Amino acid sequence: MKNIILSIAIAATTLAACNSNSNKSTESQNRSKDTQAKSQTDNATITTSSVADAKNTVSIKEIVSTYLQLKNALTKDNTTDAATAGTTLEAAFKNFDKTALTAAQKKTFEDVEDDAREHAEHIGKNGGNIVHQREHFEILSKDIYDLVKTFGGGQVLYKVFCPMYNNGKGAFWISEIKEIKNPYLGKAMPTCGTIKEEIK
Amino acid sequence: MSLIKKILLVIGIVFIAIQFIQPAHNKSGQVLATDISKIVSIFDSVQAVLKNACYDCHSNNTNYPWYSNIQPMGWLMAKHIRQGKEALNFNAFGSYSLRRQLSKLNGIANSIKDDIMPLSSYKLMHKNAQLSTNEKTLFINWAQQSKDSLSAKN
Repeated sequence: MKNIILSIAIAATTLAACNSNSNKSTESQNRSKDTQAKSQTDNATITTSSVADAKNTVSIKEIVSTYLQLKNALTKDNTTDAATAGTTLEAAFKNFDKTALTAAQKKTFEDVEDDAREHAEHIGKNGGNIVHQREHFEILSKDIYDLVKTFGGGQVLYKVFCPMYNNGKGAFWISEIKEIKNPYLGKAMPTCGTIKEEIK
Repeated sequence: MSLIKKILLVIGIVFIAIQFIQPAHNKSGQVLATDISKIVSIFDSVQAVLKNACYDCHSNNTNYPWYSNIQPMGWLMAKHIRQGKEALNFNAFGSYSLRRQLSKLNGIANSIKDDIMPLSSYKLMHKNAQLSTNEKTLFINWAQQSKDSLSAKN
């Protein structure tokens, strides 16, 4: 008798566990549907959204400063700090208050957010694998550049390019200082890079 | 009945019970307008890699092995497929924003280069997914060229 009760109890728990699992999967399907719909509209409007009038109205300071923390951790080859900054950056995107944005600004922001959050998340999860963190950082830097060009960085920033990273394909990053400290090559080649643009 | 026998009996009953809980299969068979083949060109050799090493978890069509019908293997697989499609679904590639398309192509090249994908647990069971150096180079070049031509077009 005991046996039967016990096995029924176990079967019931597995059933329940399985159910909650399938709920989760429909939830995530809905979520991916949402982002799909969103990105379709993005595709159409992204090129037309004007950027000049957006500056100084919204502060993306927290996002920028967390990105800079991440950048500085990578210049020191510090994969753990980079992971922490990655997780914080994802949260900064998630918690960003979009209510003050105009429709056009919101579209630009969400287009960037969609991509950047994923990169930040992966950097956060890949503590210990700095090569992979840097790969995500490369694309993330492009996202942050577009964001800063649209909303302003709240401080003077520099776009720095290093032609050596990526087997000579090169990559850029955003920096708050004029001094070159390379986040892609770290301590191995700290001074590779030239300032391509000053973003005010 | 000894304790061991009781435990075995319980395990046996649970094992049989869970066989009745089959996850829904990931199979649609349709070629969607958002398929990656409508966005970038795919050569046959690349198509073969996609099919053998990627599509089981990154498309709407999984080629199920026999043991997927045995639980909890099937559940484990369903979870992998759900997560795989969330991160990248080649059949839905056209629905991504241009920014994400470029970013994903970059990520595809990198994850093959760094041996992050295909997952080692997957390669263990799928011989075809164990890519040769040639296949890897070809595939990485394809992803990078697709990225470059896509960004040049837009």
